Amino acid sequence: MPNLPQKKEIFLTGLWKDNPVLRQILGICSTLAVTNLMVNTLVMDAGLIFTVCMSSLTVSLLRHYTPMRIRMMVQTLIIASYVIIVDILIKAYLPEISEALGPYVALIITNCIIMGRCEAFARNNPPVASLIDGLGMSVGYSLVLIVIAFVREPLGFGTLMGIRVMSEGFVQWTVMIMAPGAFFTLGILVWIMKYFLPNTKTGEEKT
Amino acid sequence: MTKQLQSVVYMFLISLFFASLVSAVKYLSEERIASNQAIKLQRIVLKVLDIPVGKNISEDRISSLFTERVKDIQVGEKTLYVGYEEDGRTIKGYAFPVGGPGFWGPIHGMVGVNPEATKLLGIAFTKHSETPGLGGRITEDWFLTQFKGLPIHPIEGDQKIFYLKPAGTTTAANELDAITGATNTSSAVEAFLNKDLDHFLIKLWRSVEDRK
Amino acid sequence: MNAINPLTLFFAAIFTNNILLTNFLGLCPFLSISKEKKSAMGMGAAVVFVMASTTVLNNLIYYKLLLPLGLEYFRYIVFIVVIAAFVQLVEMMVERFFPPLYYVLGIFLPLITVNCAIFGASLFMVIRGYDLMQSLAYGAGSGIGWWMAIMAVSTIREKLQKSANLPKGLEGPAITLIITGLLSLAFLAFSGMIRVQ
Repeated sequence: MPNLPQKKEIFLTGLWKDNPVLRQILGICSTLAVTNLMVNTLVMDAGLIFTVCMSSLTVSLLRHYTPMRIRMMVQTLIIASYVIIVDILIKAYLPEISEALGPYVALIITNCIIMGRCEAFARNNPPVASLIDGLGMSVGYSLVLIVIAFVREPLGFGTLMGIRVMSEGFVQWTVMIMAPGAFFTLGILVWIMKYFLPNTKTGEEKT
Repeated sequence: MTKQLQSVVYMFLISLFFASLVSAVKYLSEERIASNQAIKLQRIVLKVLDIPVGKNISEDRISSLFTERVKDIQVGEKTLYVGYEEDGRTIKGYAFPVGGPGFWGPIHGMVGVNPEATKLLGIAFTKHSETPGLGGRITEDWFLTQFKGLPIHPIEGDQKIFYLKPAGTTTAANELDAITGATNTSSAVEAFLNKDLDHFLIKLWRSVEDRK
Repeated sequence: MNAINPLTLFFAAIFTNNILLTNFLGLCPFLSISKEKKSAMGMGAAVVFVMASTTVLNNLIYYKLLLPLGLEYFRYIVFIVVIAAFVQLVEMMVERFFPPLYYVLGIFLPLITVNCAIFGASLFMVIRGYDLMQSLAYGAGSGIGWWMAIMAVSTIREKLQKSANLPKGLEGPAITLIITGLLSLAFLAFSGMIRVQ
């Protein structure tokens, strides 16, 4: 087996060089849906970090036992189970946020990032490395979402985490709360990212 | 073909494991989820009956306040709530659920009326799928407090109980501000609220009065 | 409680509640395959078929099987298994009866399984309490809406490729997102058109 990159490097790749949202352009659906409110974003981030890490860890632990042909079904099952657990926990302990997030927690299952990491990394790598890879990717995702929410909530609602941050006379940019605002903000962020890292994306980090 | 059999067995075992894991979590949280629902309902009923509930009040306090001040009664298929004043005997008002199709999905709410059913004490929405920041603003205080004190009467002919008009164009006492940019949600609320209030006054009020 | 006319729902799903432009679902394949009109056409047709069928199937399973047994919290797993199985079935049928189409679509067919729009349609169907006819209208309409959005964006991208002089950083996903944003803004104009009750 070729030399594994250092653990720190694995983590940092997910954060910046191969950032799942801005470089690999994955996980867009939830990115756009929940970032109109910072509090929803944070809950979604927590849910995703938990799911990616647990799924990558589990897939990696089972990688020598899972028959090749059914691996995608097994991965789907694992991911779906963890998402259901997250969904139940949010419903039980954060009921209002659960209602605000609606179906988007469930949609973590089809979030391409998780399946992507399982396929690209976890099924070929030892558990600890897979966990760190999952952590890096999900934290990278979370940071991007926080930045977007930082733009959308103040401009769209005039608040941040529910606390008023814009002056009283500020006219809300309602478009920021809705779909178009999300697309524009993300598009501009991707543009900025490409400006700083102009080489075409590194492709899959392979081991 | 043992390879295929192996795959099937593996799949079965994994499914069993995860299904059990999920069921376990579900089982452990069930009580908590049910009590969340119950507290939410109690809080809403107290709110629309205009019984003050402090901001950072504990769940136990909500429950005890609810038990002291509210009784539920069955009228036909519907559950209505009777609210009492602090003396525990004078009726403060009645609360009943309302709901109808919104723009994106069904909207559920609760309405409180005074003991004579001549005006609204309060209204709150419990569930909706409207757009946050637009239709979702029906849960905001400014929208809800408009309904306080609104006179209600059975619908006669074309005259609705109340209308939601674009903000700034309201003239009559029964015209309230709609939500700017959320015309569809506003029309939906206007439609089902009028209908449910009328239904209450015509169909259910008599049974409630009889019980007094 | 949901008395929406299925036909109204069908049109609403295409224009006013477009599953891609309003609910942000189905974006990942969208951003990679919308470069070529031909693959967009094929993918779109497949998605419409799968979406309509699985929304109806999942409606039946949810109301006739899961709810009566009190197992509705397993619905995420069940829905996605149904979708995966259905896509597998479609793949086999296409390979058998329309081989040229099979080669054109290539890897995109299995990718339909993780298209969040298809899973999302089933989720919304449950949240909004649609019945069988409404599920069919919503599934088919959402699929067509997705198809239309992807066709529109891919056509615009092709045109841009040939004529516009984009700043280097904007090429690819960035400009696609901005185009989609503009399209989404345009579709907002439809929201006055349909009265959903």
